[in-house]
Amino acid sequence: MTRRVARILVVEDDETLRETLTEVLGDEGHEVRGAAHGYEALERLDEWSADLIVLDLMMPRMDAFEFREHQRHRPDAATTKVMVLSAAREIASAADRLGADAWLAKPFNLADVIDSVAELLPRSA
Amino acid sequence: MSGPQETTVGAQPDAGALGPPLLRGEVAFRLLVDAVEDYAIFLLATDGRVLTWNLGAQRIKGYTADEIIGRHFSAFYTADQRDDDRPMRLLGWAAEHGRFEDEGWRVRKDGSRFWANVIVTALTDEAGVPYAFAKVTRDLTERREAEEQQRTLQLEQRARSAAEEALLARDRFLSIASHELKTPVASLQLVAESVSRARDAGRLDDARLDVGLARIATATRRLGALLDELLDVSRLTADVTPWASEPVDMVALTAEVVARFSAGGNEGRIHLAAPDAAVVSGDASRLDQVLTNLVDNALKYSAPPTPVDIEISEADEGVEISVVDRGLGLDETSAARLFEAFGRGTNAEHIQGLGLGLHIAHQIVTRHGGRIEAGGRGAEPGAVFKIWIPRDGGTPG
Repeated sequence: MTRRVARILVVEDDETLRETLTEVLGDEGHEVRGAAHGYEALERLDEWSADLIVLDLMMPRMDAFEFREHQRHRPDAATTKVMVLSAAREIASAADRLGADAWLAKPFNLADVIDSVAELLPRSA
Repeated sequence: MSGPQETTVGAQPDAGALGPPLLRGEVAFRLLVDAVEDYAIFLLATDGRVLTWNLGAQRIKGYTADEIIGRHFSAFYTADQRDDDRPMRLLGWAAEHGRFEDEGWRVRKDGSRFWANVIVTALTDEAGVPYAFAKVTRDLTERREAEEQQRTLQLEQRARSAAEEALLARDRFLSIASHELKTPVASLQLVAESVSRARDAGRLDDARLDVGLARIATATRRLGALLDELLDVSRLTADVTPWASEPVDMVALTAEVVARFSAGGNEGRIHLAAPDAAVVSGDASRLDQVLTNLVDNALKYSAPPTPVDIEISEADEGVEISVVDRGLGLDETSAARLFEAFGRGTNAEHIQGLGLGLHIAHQIVTRHGGRIEAGGRGAEPGAVFKIWIPRDGGTPG
């Protein structure tokens, strides 16, 4: 069983965290792009389609909730899986309201990130 | 018909039995005053000697008529009041104004004190010259005690709700603080693990190590800044170091703050318009913190290369400093809540930081006897923050 190489969009306003996530997921062989907020994420999705969106809750210009509204109206991105990241205490209920496929509470370790992402991606034989 | 001894209220006394009608009225009135128990009602000679005494006076002050008539009414006052010549000054005021009302401590025969309401009325002849004073005294000790009790109760209630509010604020504080601290901690953890993983996989070259170290430095700075903000608040609350009250040149201080920010990567963004000097009395390091927070706020909420304008002027027996940015701006609701702890604008949830800078600035400015206010720039984008510090605010406290 080999892990599928996926296209992942990391949407996170903290630059250091965004770049580090991009790097570690890239190390796993994924094709990763970053966006600083929901609006930028929609721009990325205009030109590039993702298999998974790693999404911070609170961001400037467009937060996770507004982003999800837009995402649902895009035929090519409506069903893309979403994993929510947040330090908020109410992350589980927020993820639920967002209809996210998974969530990860900050801070997290590398194995958490890699495993959570792997679980969301379809495996190929 | 019955005689005077048997006269009852409502009965028509026999004409002549009590003398002429006027005299009868005076006698009846005298009897009435004598019988009043709740008020001390008596006459004083113009030199302060007690001329008459009633039941109320005896009950309230403890003297019988025999003991007090002919004595000076300063016997009802405390030693301090007597030293201050208050009794005779009171008569003087009554003579001048016709009537004088006073409230204060008085002394009973047994030396105990009671809280009295006193009305002194000057009785004057046709020429307006006083020939005696009527004094009506009420014992308000019980009412005063009840009021005191009520006040204590209110103070306790206020203290309790303040304590409850402080607890809520602390919870909110801890929740926001831990939320903000988690992002740089997540970065640190991930970078460290990523570097060690790259090393294990033999992929750790110098370039990758440099990037990792730079990220660790950034996240550490972020953590440091958050902790500084937390410490600023706790320092303000715990207030261990006393506040100085010394001449502070706000122009020089502002120039220092601007230089610090300019060196920190905001070269050329901050413009300062100021006179040669503008001195106030206050605590330089705390005022530095106010200016630092305002400039930091302006830079944080506006994007480079838009300018931040600082203007200093002498105004209204003090110094006014305005800091103007061209950033997100402020709506009215936000402007009103801005100076509360964590009261940042409704459009600013994503801005990094704890949102305590303006709260701290407000606390410090207020303790200097000054004012701080915020507003928008009308139709233009951006916000204006103004502080005013009095030239001589006394000792901040």
